[in-house]
Amino acid sequence: MKFRLPLILLVAFLVASVPLSLAQRPDPEVHGTFEGDPMYTLLEPNAIPAIDDPEYVTGAVAAAQMAAEETVMGVATGTDAVCWSTWQLDRHEIVNDRLDDTPIAATW
Amino acid sequence: MHVRRIADRELTFIVSGKLWRNSLVMMDRETGSLWSHLTGECLEGELTGSRLEQIATVQTTWKDWSDAHPATRALKKDAEIHGSRYQKYFDDPDRIGILPMTFLSDTMTGKTIVHGVLVNGQALAVVDTALTSPIEVECGGTALKIFRGKDGGVRARRVADESELAVRLAYWFAWSSYFPHTRVWPNTE
Repeated sequence: MKFRLPLILLVAFLVASVPLSLAQRPDPEVHGTFEGDPMYTLLEPNAIPAIDDPEYVTGAVAAAQMAAEETVMGVATGTDAVCWSTWQLDRHEIVNDRLDDTPIAATW
Repeated sequence: MHVRRIADRELTFIVSGKLWRNSLVMMDRETGSLWSHLTGECLEGELTGSRLEQIATVQTTWKDWSDAHPATRALKKDAEIHGSRYQKYFDDPDRIGILPMTFLSDTMTGKTIVHGVLVNGQALAVVDTALTSPIEVECGGTALKIFRGKDGGVRARRVADESELAVRLAYWFAWSSYFPHTRVWPNTE
């Protein structure tokens, strides 16, 4: 019994390590057809985590974490200017936030 | 960018794990409905047929954005990020989405970058490299001025009242798969 768990882990590791060739890769599941085009299911909901409580930095702190050529999505309202790095949004895709008290979702 | 509110009901969005027309499908936590992030339209669930109000954003570089808006807030990073996870995908002209799709490949190559606007159901794609000075163009019965601002971002305004419309930066394959009847500026026909 002692060896059971490591064995299961080893098998799981081997299975995960075998790269599926294109021919073996199962077709992604079609969830439904909308306006004539299929919607595919690739991941479980929230497998890529949206940001719900975004924190922001300004000035030198902001400059230190950004590269000059880094692409950003930005909005300026006159009273506020905010931007989201698309390199960072790659990992989250959605930021739930507020802009001048309006609830907004920045999506990438 | 979307206003995440339908009829005074506030929604929060998560990544559904689904793709439609090779782009993000959002799910709201409150009803589990599925939404296209490109159009803001609810495709499935309790809120089907609802459409999220759009707020115009621009896409540009940190340098150009922060030069024009020195007081800007920037989303805080928890870790160092030195590039896009998808850079190889961006750089390869032959990789068109990750799933099979149809688009108007006769018009221009799939990875051509366009700025898309939608007015009264009429779509218009402005080719990025052609927008070297402000243009006036008609779309959906509305005269528009489309220009690149000091912060490097492309904006569209109605000529009549200067009101701003949402502009979507997109690959041509993605834009034309959503809007096969789109017009293109400059018109190559």
